[in-house]
Amino acid sequence: MTFLLTVTIATEVVSLVSELSPLLASGFGLRSPAALAFFPDVTLVALGDALASFLQPVNLFDVFLNGLAKSALYVMIAVGLTLIFGLMGVLNFAHGSFTMIGAYLGGLILVLTVTGTTGGLARIGLFFVGVLVVFGVLAVLGGVLEISLIRPLYDRSPVYQILLTFGLTLVLDELVRIIVSLYGLQPISDWQNAFGTRPAFIARSLDFGPVDVPGLALFQIAFGVVTVGAVWAFLTRTRYGLIVRAGSEDAEMTEALGIDVRRVFTVVFALGAGIAGVAGVLLMWDPVWGASVPLAAETLLPAFVVVIVGGLGTFRGTVVAGILVGMVDAVMTWWFQNAISFTGLPQITIFLILVIVLIARPQGLFGVEGVGGH
Amino acid sequence: MTLLDVENVHTYYGESHILEGVSLSVAASEVIALIGRNGVGKTTTLRTILQLTPPREGSVTFRGEDLQGLATNEVARRGIGWIPEERRIYSQLSVAENVRIAVPSDRDADAALKNAYETFPDLERFGDRDAGTLSGGQQQMLALARGLAGENDLLLVDEPSEGLAPRIVAAVADALAAAAEETTLLLVEQNLPLALDLADRFYLLDNGQVIDSGDTDEVRAEDERLRRHLSA
Repeated sequence: MTFLLTVTIATEVVSLVSELSPLLASGFGLRSPAALAFFPDVTLVALGDALASFLQPVNLFDVFLNGLAKSALYVMIAVGLTLIFGLMGVLNFAHGSFTMIGAYLGGLILVLTVTGTTGGLARIGLFFVGVLVVFGVLAVLGGVLEISLIRPLYDRSPVYQILLTFGLTLVLDELVRIIVSLYGLQPISDWQNAFGTRPAFIARSLDFGPVDVPGLALFQIAFGVVTVGAVWAFLTRTRYGLIVRAGSEDAEMTEALGIDVRRVFTVVFALGAGIAGVAGVLLMWDPVWGASVPLAAETLLPAFVVVIVGGLGTFRGTVVAGILVGMVDAVMTWWFQNAISFTGLPQITIFLILVIVLIARPQGLFGVEGVGGH
Repeated sequence: MTLLDVENVHTYYGESHILEGVSLSVAASEVIALIGRNGVGKTTTLRTILQLTPPREGSVTFRGEDLQGLATNEVARRGIGWIPEERRIYSQLSVAENVRIAVPSDRDADAALKNAYETFPDLERFGDRDAGTLSGGQQQMLALARGLAGENDLLLVDEPSEGLAPRIVAAVADALAAAAEETTLLLVEQNLPLALDLADRFYLLDNGQVIDSGDTDEVRAEDERLRRHLSA
């Protein structure tokens, strides 16, 4: 796992370094033209002005709202991953692929059903039809994959499960790439037709006096809150949730209480895949993400960061870490968009959070060594 | 009537041969003590019965049904409960949830919880607390409560007094004596006076084999017959 994570993080770092190469070539000379091209406004005066601007209530509210929306997305992306790891101890590298498939499938349903005359509420209604269909399809796909491919590997070292799910993500990504290529959709850039199905009040900002609130951010926050509430209620208010929490802590003991833990594994894997797919439907309407094949890798990395920061396998930790990462991302995005013209740095800060948490508290914010649990 | 019959079982961990032809039987309503030094196969015997570590040879039958090939959850659903060594309560679940999880349906959980609190009154005031915050003695009470909540026909109890203060051991002994009124017990216990006091019969294990057995009325804890196989 460490190796694969290292490879993926290293890929990100290489990408950032390539963006930084003009600056590196200048030897970080702050007075050099290359440095000034990257940090044109980095002077104490400019930083002071930026800080004053950042602290204005309108901007703080904007950053806070943006942070909540990002948090909702990060939690949505990561929650299925943490459920699966918490109970089964399986680090599912195919998780991002489930999100990507969900984005395409949700987009397909909306593109096929939404016309130019479809009203805003009807579009929202069709969105939720898409959510239900995607959840069902991805849950079935997840259940089938768990029974057919992952179950035979439970008695082996976790490396086998990691390699299997890593291979699975390559296969799923290539399959989707072939399908979207066959239908003439751009495999790399985001699927524009899917964006076009958004209702007007989600596509634009809503005017609340001095504050413009993006409709999409409000929708993402509401969706994230409902999802977190639903998963929390499932885990704490249902017998099946109790079984999942018990199984996460001690699967053998749970089995000895007469509970078929293998069947619970299948249900939880299906549930995790379904939620990942639903996250994809939500991302499909977001111009920052959108339905594309690379969405699989783009979502997998932050999902791992959130799950590791929160503590592997803890739902509570995932929610807190999602909010932490989302807020830090929003703050840094504001700073690097308004004070320092380098958009790659917010990504670095997410990984910095990961590094700091791993050094200070290796089991994560809410993790218990050797225990999953929710 | 024989409830459990273990016949010539051989159990391995990898290539290590742990049980070398263990045979024992438990009749309904009996309390059987399985005694022996550390590492002679007592816990493995319980794990073999539960099919957690299935035997490579021999058979385990419960009410005449061969348990070979059954998953552990299927064995448990046939009426065999387990109170494992080191308690293994769910530290992140509440005390009440630890009891509820042992009951097959939510419908019966309230009654089971009420019974548990009647048997172990100390647990009631900690009902909503995470079980991991309880003391060792309270955790053992909770493990017993969880084991009894399943209303099993046979309860496998592994080292219930291990690591507990004498006052708590007495409470555990009382709880087990009360449990013995309602169910059959197969008890693994290093505390010989406690085991002999509770049990009707005993099996003495050494190096993965039953080397002695009989009625507990026939022996005392200090008898040379037992002591030479139990001292380190």
